[in-house]
Amino acid sequence: MNSFDQSALLLTILVPLAGAGLSMFLPRNRPNDAWYFAIFVSAITLLISVALFVRYDFGAGGYQFQRIYEWLDAPLNIDLHLAMDGIAATLVLLNGIVLFGAVLISQTIKHRSRDFFVLLLALGSGVFGVFVVQDLFFLFFFYELAVLPMYLLIGVWGSSTIFDPDRQRLWGIPIPFDLGSYNRPKEYGAMKLMLVLVAGSVLIWIGILAMYVAAAQEGSPTFSMVELGVLAEQGAFSPAFQNWVFPLFMIGFGVLAGLWPFHTWSPDGHVAAPTGVSMLHAGVLMKLGAFGIIRVGMVLLPEGAEAWMPVLIVLGTVNVVYGAISAMSQRDLKYIIGYSSVSHMGYVIMGIATLHPVGLAGAVLQMFSHGIMTALMFAMVGAIYERTHIRDITVLNGLMKRMGYTSFFFAIAGLASLGLPGLSGFVAEFMVFVGVFKTYLPLAVLAVFGAALTAIYILRLLARTFFGEPDPRWEGLNDASPVEKSVGAAFVLILLFVGVWPAPLTRVINVGVDSVMKLF
Amino acid sequence: MVWAWLIPVLSFAAVPLIILFGKRLPAKGSPLAILAILAGFAIFWVVFAGFLSASPDTEGCEIGVGTEALTCNFKITWFEAGIPGADTSNHDRIEVAWGMTIDPLTIAMLGLATFVALMVQIYSLGYMRDHDGNFDPRLDWYYAFHALFIASMLTLVLADNFLLLYVAWELVGLCSYLLIGFWHERPEPREAAKKAFIVTRIGDVGLLVGILLLWSQVGSFSMTETFAAIENGVLSDGVITVSALLLFLGAMGKSAQFPFHVWLPDAMEGPTPVSALIHAATMVAAGVYLVARAFPLFSASDTAMLVVATIGLITALGAATIALVATDLKRILAYSTISHLGLMMLSLGAFGYTAAVFHLLAHGFAKALLFLGAGSVMHSTDELDVRQMGGLRRVMPVTAILFSIGALSLGGIPILAGFWSKDEILVAVNKELPVIFIVLTLVTALFSALYMARAMFVVFYGRFAEQFEHVHDAPKTMSITMGLLAVFAIVFGLLALDLPGPFKGIGYFIFYHEGHGLVVVAWVMGLSTLLAIAAFIFGYLAYARRSINLDGTRGTFARVLEVAENKYYVDEIYQWTVDRVVLSLSRFIAWVDRALVNDVGINGPGDITRVLGDRLKYHVTGYVYTYALAMALGLIGLAIFWWLVSR
Repeated sequence: MNSFDQSALLLTILVPLAGAGLSMFLPRNRPNDAWYFAIFVSAITLLISVALFVRYDFGAGGYQFQRIYEWLDAPLNIDLHLAMDGIAATLVLLNGIVLFGAVLISQTIKHRSRDFFVLLLALGSGVFGVFVVQDLFFLFFFYELAVLPMYLLIGVWGSSTIFDPDRQRLWGIPIPFDLGSYNRPKEYGAMKLMLVLVAGSVLIWIGILAMYVAAAQEGSPTFSMVELGVLAEQGAFSPAFQNWVFPLFMIGFGVLAGLWPFHTWSPDGHVAAPTGVSMLHAGVLMKLGAFGIIRVGMVLLPEGAEAWMPVLIVLGTVNVVYGAISAMSQRDLKYIIGYSSVSHMGYVIMGIATLHPVGLAGAVLQMFSHGIMTALMFAMVGAIYERTHIRDITVLNGLMKRMGYTSFFFAIAGLASLGLPGLSGFVAEFMVFVGVFKTYLPLAVLAVFGAALTAIYILRLLARTFFGEPDPRWEGLNDASPVEKSVGAAFVLILLFVGVWPAPLTRVINVGVDSVMKLF
Repeated sequence: MVWAWLIPVLSFAAVPLIILFGKRLPAKGSPLAILAILAGFAIFWVVFAGFLSASPDTEGCEIGVGTEALTCNFKITWFEAGIPGADTSNHDRIEVAWGMTIDPLTIAMLGLATFVALMVQIYSLGYMRDHDGNFDPRLDWYYAFHALFIASMLTLVLADNFLLLYVAWELVGLCSYLLIGFWHERPEPREAAKKAFIVTRIGDVGLLVGILLLWSQVGSFSMTETFAAIENGVLSDGVITVSALLLFLGAMGKSAQFPFHVWLPDAMEGPTPVSALIHAATMVAAGVYLVARAFPLFSASDTAMLVVATIGLITALGAATIALVATDLKRILAYSTISHLGLMMLSLGAFGYTAAVFHLLAHGFAKALLFLGAGSVMHSTDELDVRQMGGLRRVMPVTAILFSIGALSLGGIPILAGFWSKDEILVAVNKELPVIFIVLTLVTALFSALYMARAMFVVFYGRFAEQFEHVHDAPKTMSITMGLLAVFAIVFGLLALDLPGPFKGIGYFIFYHEGHGLVVVAWVMGLSTLLAIAAFIFGYLAYARRSINLDGTRGTFARVLEVAENKYYVDEIYQWTVDRVVLSLSRFIAWVDRALVNDVGINGPGDITRVLGDRLKYHVTGYVYTYALAMALGLIGLAIFWWLVSR
């Protein structure tokens, strides 16, 4: 191990955190400085995460780059234990990419931009932390560090949605509720997101304490996931214990993954959040939940997982179909993407719930693919909203003519979303289908059908927003700025690369999946 | 032969080049696409020659499982998923390959696809100009899509495993979406493109599920392994039937079989050369190709074969009747395509493997020719309603002659290509299926000749429509390509005869289990010839000479005609379903999400907490007497409690 390997994981956490700290000393009234500095910091984290991914030895597999920083002795036994396996390596790479993209896209933030980047970088640091720690206490700490800044980011820099009651009809009868776009002030979105996620993390915290207590009863009180894993393998946790603790993790983390019926915070949060935050939120944050289910739930409580997976897979299927059907009748661009995230996270949940190696690998790849794809969509919607101040697809029309690049990038992301072969979404979804097909056949048919439903709402969106004769209002509209173009192009290239040649990712994911599947 | 992979790859490579640099290149980069497909066409001949000289001893080649025809396979691993190193047969790992199969079916499709695509792309150079001769402003995108389209189709026919086939299959669907909706400023192409993509996508659900079902039984996506498993009896009859029917769902979507045919007539909203490509060589051919490719699977299940034949017959007959009454030239051709695709499916269902593939090729040449002819008419006259046209041969003699060749060939006039292939289908249907099938197939053949005669005579012969006095004939790029296609539409059928040389005739080249020469059933050939000739004579008298007056007969059949003219209301049924069922359901679910899941489930606890807090806060008044009262009441309560307990 060279010195980079020894400290790399710590650096992924410390660099953005230190960047956040240092940003506070920047002058308050020069927004560009804060932006440049944030680019500098996130570029370093991107480099580190790429290096980590490339240097991860998929031939050897297992946890690599291990490092333990001792913190509290017995009886608490809390250490900052860092390590990364194949699953985490993929997600670390994802976070590096999306964080960099989100910082770049946030060029347009001028109001208190220094504070914005402080919070954004802190959030990124928390996400890295969750992916690479091997200690339940620190996992929870970083989890909260990733979630809490969202409240301020949405509440201060977000945007509100105005309710238009005239157009809503069901079978011809006007409905007193606006379907899908209520009058939603940003404060409501921020508060709901916060409260729901905190409620979820309460469950997680109860679960963690239960694990600690159960381990203490075995004579070795610890928060270390490695030691708890060893205890689990020795059968220290009774099936009855596993059966009541696993659902705590399943629901607690599931809330963040957008698990039905706890998903409604997610579209509202997406819509209210500023572009860069939406990117991180849908692109990375929701993956924390799914990752938590794998890393904490499945690895530490395999029997509980086996007992609860039939429930989880049904919920995942509901996510897929319900999300897609809901997205079909939305009019707000961001709500469509929000519900499509709910639908796509359903594939992740299904893949996890299969407990099948191919399905699980598919779930991890879907996390990566969906992260890039949704981030790209939000970036482009942000670009459109910036210029038109409209997100209603019944009003937007013919943008292709005026904003060619933006439309092209969005269209590619949309095609990836509907599972077009050649783009990353297809490979991931296909692997999930394979896993589900082998384990829960009828649900697999529904899942494939859900992918066809995706085509309906994506094509509707593309036809309404981008095609057609442009509205005269868009006469003087500028296309994407150089920054937006480069983010768009880079993300499109990643989608294409993974779609055409997924092997570099799948071979890393496969070894991660291998070590998880050994427990079942 | 190994170099066959270059055929699609060249066209794939042209796509990013045209997108990135097309604006700066002469003719917006279109020569890149044309060169790519031209090279592909050249390589096809090399591959063809290599294949004819190959034997089971050649590296990579063997006698194909299921088909008994010479089959050559080449592959590299694409990606793996699951436990590294695990055995694929216990499904813990999947291994997917970029691989290609070269067998007679592939060769036939490669030839058809490269040739028609080449012709269409050259033709487009003439077609995609306005009347001043300027290129379409998005010509670079047009050619990029074309290159992607044909590259995907070529990948599809080369694929040696079902997953790669599915990949290409979806890309073909995407490209037809992009090209049908190419002029997206008008709403009709936009809607037609969306319809095409979604309808075929729904069929594709079946295809993907079928592929997964086969994988779950076989443990591999490879076609060879799947067919070997069927041959060895590993798969149960139920699985074979179900997976065949699921694959057929996909084929029905792509090949526009009833009830998935609705997208194809609308697809003519795209540029006409695109229609030629879709109808002849790419999109719709994929479905027939899939059934032919998976023939070892289909032929193992009698139920599946009967379903294929029945759907084929319903489609063939139904579409032919609509084509008889349609008034839009491209719509007539579109329904004619649907009808002929139905015939091909019928033929496959009747074990007429050779006949189906032969008809696919013969129809492909003729239909490409007809569409390009229609495009030429449209390009010059901006008119597609046949009732407005007449006698156009006076101003467009070349187009008139070439279109007539296509019409006669497809109508089944002897020694032209369509005659031979249709005859083989009739022979197969006569041999394998109940007598009702051959009767209805002959009726379809008669209708098919009738509507071709109608289209040809109404547009190009008869009284000249004066408003087209100043119309010009097709430019060189267009007439030469049509001419080349016409040559094939004439002579291609002769392959049905027993020929000298290594290529002994189509029956010895494309076959299932064993090759055979030309089979002639005298009464079938005689009757079909008679019907075709009668139909064209009738058409001449009724539409060109106008010596038979049809105006009076309309009243007699008004009801029947109305139903056919409304395309049996299938579109209306779909529209109703989408509007009333799908969208309503979607709105309802969205409402449930807002009103119940969110406002009750998520906001509810929040609201309850807030309201409770609102009410309870009044108990905290800050006045001493309130607290004193509470204390007193508490004391009294405790006293009563103590009294009750102690008693």
